Order: sequence, then structure tokens, then C-alpha cells
Amino acid sequence: MKIKVCGLKYADNIEAVSALGPDYMGFVCYGPSPRYAGELDAGTMNHVPRSIIKTAVFVNEDKETISALIEKYGFDAIQLHGNEDAEFCAYFKGQVKVIKAFGINEAFDFKVLDDFSDAVDLFLFDTKTNIHGGSGNSFDWNLLDKYQLDIPFFLSGGLSLENLEEVKKISHPQFYGVDLNSKFETAPGMKDIGKLGKAFEIIKQEPMNYGVNEQGYYGDFGGAYIPEMLYPNVEELRREYLSILDDEGFKTEFNELLKDYVGRPSPLYHAKRYSERYGANIFFKREDLNHTGSHKINNAIGQILLAKRLGKKRIIAETGAGQHGVATATVCALMGIECVVYMGEIDMARQAPNVSRMKMLGAKVMPAKSGSKTLKDATNEALRDWIANPVDTHYIIGSVVGPYPYPDMVARFQSIISLETKKQLKEHTGSELPDYVMACVGGGSNAMGMFYHFLDDENVKLVAVEAAGKGVDSGHSAATTFLGREGVLHGSRTILMQTDDGQVVEPYSISAGLDYPGIGPQHAYLYKIHRAEYASATDDEALQAGLLCCQLEGIIPAIETAHALAHLEKMKFKPTDNVVICISGRGDKDLDTYIKYFGF
Amino acid sequence: MNRLNELFAAKKDNLLSIYFTAGYPELGTTLDIAEALEKAGVDFLEIGFPYSDPVADGPVIQHSSEVALQNGMTLNLLFEQLADLRKRVSIPIMLMGYFNPVVQYGVERFCKKAAEVGVDGIIVPDLPIYEYETLYAGIFKNYNLSNIFMVTPQTSEERIRKIDALSNSFIYLLSSSSITGTALQLSVNIEDYYKRIKAMNLVNPAIIGFGITDQKSFNKACEYASGAIVGTKFVKLLAERDYLEKIPGFIKNIRA
Ligand SMILES: Cc1ncc(COP(=O)(O)O)c(C=O)c1O
Repeated sequence: MKIKVCGLKYADNIEAVSALGPDYMGFVCYGPSPRYAGELDAGTMNHVPRSIIKTAVFVNEDKETISALIEKYGFDAIQLHGNEDAEFCAYFKGQVKVIKAFGINEAFDFKVLDDFSDAVDLFLFDTKTNIHGGSGNSFDWNLLDKYQLDIPFFLSGGLSLENLEEVKKISHPQFYGVDLNSKFETAPGMKDIGKLGKAFEIIKQEPMNYGVNEQGYYGDFGGAYIPEMLYPNVEELRREYLSILDDEGFKTEFNELLKDYVGRPSPLYHAKRYSERYGANIFFKREDLNHTGSHKINNAIGQILLAKRLGKKRIIAETGAGQHGVATATVCALMGIECVVYMGEIDMARQAPNVSRMKMLGAKVMPAKSGSKTLKDATNEALRDWIANPVDTHYIIGSVVGPYPYPDMVARFQSIISLETKKQLKEHTGSELPDYVMACVGGGSNAMGMFYHFLDDENVKLVAVEAAGKGVDSGHSAATTFLGREGVLHGSRTILMQTDDGQVVEPYSISAGLDYPGIGPQHAYLYKIHRAEYASATDDEALQAGLLCCQLEGIIPAIETAHALAHLEKMKFKPTDNVVICISGRGDKDLDTYIKYFGF
Repeated sequence: MNRLNELFAAKKDNLLSIYFTAGYPELGTTLDIAEALEKAGVDFLEIGFPYSDPVADGPVIQHSSEVALQNGMTLNLLFEQLADLRKRVSIPIMLMGYFNPVVQYGVERFCKKAAEVGVDGIIVPDLPIYEYETLYAGIFKNYNLSNIFMVTPQTSEERIRKIDALSNSFIYLLSSSSITGTALQLSVNIEDYYKRIKAMNLVNPAIIGFGITDQKSFNKACEYASGAIVGTKFVKLLAERDYLEKIPGFIKNIRA
């Protein structure tokens, strides 16, 4: 958030404010104002550090006077508070930064701004008054929702130490900075350095950062613990992924495929019978309705487009339940790229229909025969393949695990889940923020996608549900946060289930997709700092919950998803609570397991 | 100076190192194998401590790790076995394994224990340069242990220079980007790669590993580097009956 301190006039005061390091300083060049700067001291103006944008404030001044003052004091920006029209603003644009101020109240028609969209660099929204300039009062910031242009704006009017915390919560995408003025003075034009210092502190205090840092860490978790043989592959990704994800062409292609091929946005469904049963407003985010039947396709689409841009000719993947394998085989068919999927021998037997599906889609399915013959071993085999094929092959990891940048990259591709949820929830409830967000966790990709855009909203409680298998203490479980300790697994520092000697322990869950001994490093971090709560559900609880969902809502969920649903039984809600639960996948692949369990 | 530094100061070429997994094929023969290898004329040794998920290893060494774990090998036990190391073996010894067991043991405690029993170097393929440099280099130095880094044909010159600067014994040169047990590559590209490394005039000698199986590949490797490491082929020998007796013949076959 940028800081502009406005209404300066006294030399010593200008120097003291400069020392605080604001982004902008404003000088009022309008005679009737009590903060009229008048003749400024040229020496003082020259001493203002170049990094601070010196801004001259005018009200209906003529062009010649403005130009002369820009020349005289070396102003970098002008701020226009009168009835200047777009043509007038455009005259100065390019020469200096142009800020056009508007007074906002209920009656303000934001359409009048359209004309200015090519003529100004920034808007400044102030409280509407009869006089020109500040009133010392703030306006109803909810009105900002009506502003839809893509020109950033300063917020002005009555900002004080008392309301800065509120200001920090404004989430408008174009909110650029604050204009501090009359509430930070000892007299008009004389700034209170102590108060300003406090304001700078409040503003610069970053919200808790839950994202990845430049070295690929979330707190102590993450990194890229990989043998040198994998370094070039991972380094290429690390170097390229952000710029590729940011590229307009990439975004367009990604969003079009999500819409036309995957069928997004996936609905946010108000589950009425669930709401009745659990005494809260329960919403289902329907990732089960995606093409291929789960959230895994979001990431697979993102990564195949990335692989294409990196010039890769061959794709490898690991899969547990087969959902990620199917999603990968699908996008490879779509793009006409060779695909090899590694799958534990045991998983191949328990998810046989998905093996056939992958083969129909043209993928080669390679059994992982080492170790426990499940997901972790499939991941090992995929990594070994990647070591041997460093140049032409991209490894599409299926969850928010693996060496940096995978956890961050996969989270970004899955973040579409929470992005859509916010918008949809607002339509349902009037607020984009729910009270609870819930999801199951294997490696943690559907949960991360569901949490992503809520991470910074501390009032939204995040609940992740792991697979307890036959019970957390049974010796047959995959409840990583309950049973695991910190260590290194598949290239990242995270929490994993292991022996005292650091050997990875075989997890167990009836659901192949949750049968993994670790969790993604970002989850390990959210767990450790208590930003999210990690719970667990047993096989039995999950299967019962899956059946309940069939019978109450007519939706057969994947057994993975059923773990998240099962945890609803243990939650205590208020009747007004809004709860979003990620229905990560559909249960077609699990019919055999359901049928055997219930004997239908 | 540790034994590795002394070795490289005294002998510049045709160095032979052997890798084997501790606890394989039997739990209690770690020092017997080491002793037999020294007697057979091997210059230095890599003793592997097993891990459940060895991603840089091919099927043979994977299998040896699995068996060693089933036999009950742990880092605690290995250090117990190595208590008599310097009574029986005088050539330089490196411990090789994956990072997670070391993290659980405690990196400092691991280094302290290794130094106590007379280990000279550590090879942990999945401990990256950044983490080594920022978190652990000081500990390794305190205990006079050399950390050994790997270089592949894909490693950039800049990175090789950095590795050279961080190393103080030798650089582990891989003949190709591959897991253990893959045959030595001898294409034109690979010769170029060896020549490229040679032309860089690195401070540390290079030793070629992965894919050395016989006299021919050993000699070839020695043309380009100071020596070579035999792993998979030796682990295969350990699967045979009377493997201890066969060690002298095996070594003789490699360096006649
Ligand atoms: C339907 C479904 N949900 C959840 C998962 C677990 O993966 P993650 O924790 O990465 O979302 C899987 C994995 O296969 C799955 O298929």
C-alpha cells in the first residue's frame, strides 16, 4: 500500500516527513486552502529524495501556471481537484503523473470516470464536500465496490490512526494507497511526525504471509531437497513458472480450457438437507462435476500448457487413486503428447477401472513394484524416470508436494477453486467470506486450492481432514499431522510419517488418494502456525458419510471427499455460519469399495 | 586435513573407490567388507546407510537398502559397528545416504559421531547446495568432514565453479544424468563433457561414479578423471555366496 502525505508547507516539516520515506508528498498550490504552500523553499524541495514523488495539488488552475510550477519545483505529479475535464488531464499525462480527484458520496455516478480512463494515471477518491479539498471526514468505503475501471486509486478523506486497520482490509484490486492529511497535524500544514510514524508502522506491517518465499520456503518447510541429477529440471521450472503463469496468452488459454473443456466454473451448491442436519448453511463446491471427475484436472491443464511452453515432448506422472493419472492422460491426449503414468502395483489392483481409463486415453501405465507399491513408490519411480530424462520430459506432479516450485505452482493452478467460491458465495449470501472452509487432505491440493484466497482473511476458519484409516492409533493410518514429524520427503521439508530412524512409514487408508505418508509443505506450515486446523476421519466414518451424502443430497462423493464430509459430524456450528466444503471428486471410481462395504 | 585430503595429495590418478550398503547382505559384516576391500587394494570407501525411498538409486541398490532395513540396520547401529573402524581400516571412509535419516538423527550429532569413529567425508545426494551452505557448512567444517557434491552433464559451468569452491576433497562426476546402475555412457557428447570439466582446471580432483563395472570402464574413466567409484556391480557381488572371499578377485578384475 502506497502512502501519500499531503498538505505540506514548512521547510523543517517537509524534511522531517521526507525522512519517514512516504511514496508521495503533496503540496497544495491553491490559494484559498489553509494548507496553501505559497512560495516553497527551492533548497528544501531539492533535498526531497528522488524516490518520493512530489505532487502539486491544484483546483481549476490554468495550464500555463501549472506548467510553470512543475518547471520551478520539479514536481513529478499533479493532482487536480476542480472541474478539470479529461482533455485537460490528458494534456499533462506523460509529462508528469496525473492524479484526478473526485468527491464520493451515495449519489456519485462512477460512470463519469470512464472518460478519464486514458487521461490519468491515478484517481483519488475523497469525501464529497461543498468546498474543494478535504473535509476531515471519511465516506462509506463500501461504495468503492462500484468502481470497476482498472486505474488504481488513492483513498483520501478522514484517514486517521483510528481507522487505518479498517483501511487495510479494503480488498479492492485497484486500491493503490492512502492519502494522509488533516488527522496527522498539529496545525493546518504542520504534520505531526509522531502520529505519522505510527501510521507508517501500521500500514507497513504486512499481514501474516502464508505464501512461499524466494528460496521456496514456507517458514521452515519446503525447499528443494533433490539430488543434483534433478537440479537442472527443477531449476528450469523455478526460473520459468511465474513468468509463464503471468503471461496473458497462457492465462487466456488456461481459462478457456477450464471453461470449455473442464466445464468451469464448478457450481457452488447450497446443500439444504445438509444445512438442516448440521444446523448451518452448508455449501458444496462441486469439483466432482469437472471433466474427469475431480479437481485434479485443474492442475493437469495448467501443467500441460506450461510443459508445452517449455518445449517438452514427453509427460510423466505419478498417481494413487488414478484420478491424477486419468487427468494427466486426458490432457496429454488433448495435446497429443506422449504420457507415462507410474502407479503402485497395489493401487493398480484396487483402482483397476482408472488403469483401463488411462490406457484408453493412450497413456502407458507403469507399475511401481518397489517398497510399499503405493503412491509414494510411484512418486519415487517418476522421479527416477525424470532423472534419466532431464531434457525432453516434464513431470506433472499431482499435488502440492515435491520440490519447490511444485507446491506453489500446483496451489496456484488449484486456487481457481477458492477464487470462484468467493464470487459465488457473495451471490448466495452477500458476503464473499464464509465462516468455515473444509477439505480433505492427501498431499493437499484440493485443500490448498480451497484455502488459497481465504488465507489472509483470518476470520475464515480453515479445516483440513486427513485419513485416519482404521484409527489414528491403530498402526493403519494416514493421519500425517497426528503421526508424523518434521523431515524431508520427495524433495521438500515437511511433516511425514516415519520411524525414529527416519525411514518413511507405510500409511494406510481405504482411499488411495489419501494414502500418502506426507503433506505438502504449505500445509505443514499452516498446521504448525495454527492457521488451519487438521482433523481426521476413519475409513468407517468416511464410508458412512459418503452414503449419507448419496441419500441426503443425491451426490456420490469420492471416498477421499467423504473424509471431509465425515468431519461435519464433529463440528459445532452456529445457525448463521456459512460453511463451504470442497467436493473434490465423484465416487464412480469407488463404487466397488462402497458396494463391498455396504453390501448393496 | 583428513584422510581424503592426504590421499589426494599423495596419489593423483587411478584411484578406486567402492560403494556398499551397510547391513547388506548381512547385518554384521560392515567392517569385514571394508577390511577386505582395503586389503584388496581399494583406495577409499563409501559406506551407504540405507533409506526407504532412495530416489537416486536403481533396482540393485534399492534392493540392498530394503534388505539392510529388514535386517535391522539403523544409523545408531551403524555407528556402533563403526566404533572399531580405525582399528581395522586405515583408508579414507565416506558415509553415503539420504538426508531424512540424518535430519532425524540430528545433523550436528551425525557429524560429531561420524568424526568420532573416524569417517572423513559425507555424501548426501539430496542435501542441496543452498541448504548446505546456509545451514550446515559450519558444522561439517567443525568436525573436519568433507561434504561431497555431484556434477552431471547438465550442470552449468557457474554451478560447477560454485561446487568446486564449496568442496575440499573431490567432486563426484556422474557419467550421465542417471540413477545408480546405469551403464557408463561413452558417446561423443560425454567425452566432450569430460574434456570440458578437465579444461576447467578445478581445484578439487574429479572422481567418476555411476556405471563403472569392469576394467574397461574403469580405465576409460581414469583417462578423464583421477579415479572412479564402483557401486552397483559390487553390490551385486555381495548377493553371491562367499562374497568376502571373492572380493580380492573382483578388485583385481577392475584394476589389473
Ligand atoms: C477426489 C480426490 N480428492 C482428494 C484427493 C487427494 O489429493 P489432494 O490432497 O492433493 O487434493 C484425491 C487424490 O487422488 C482425489 O482423487
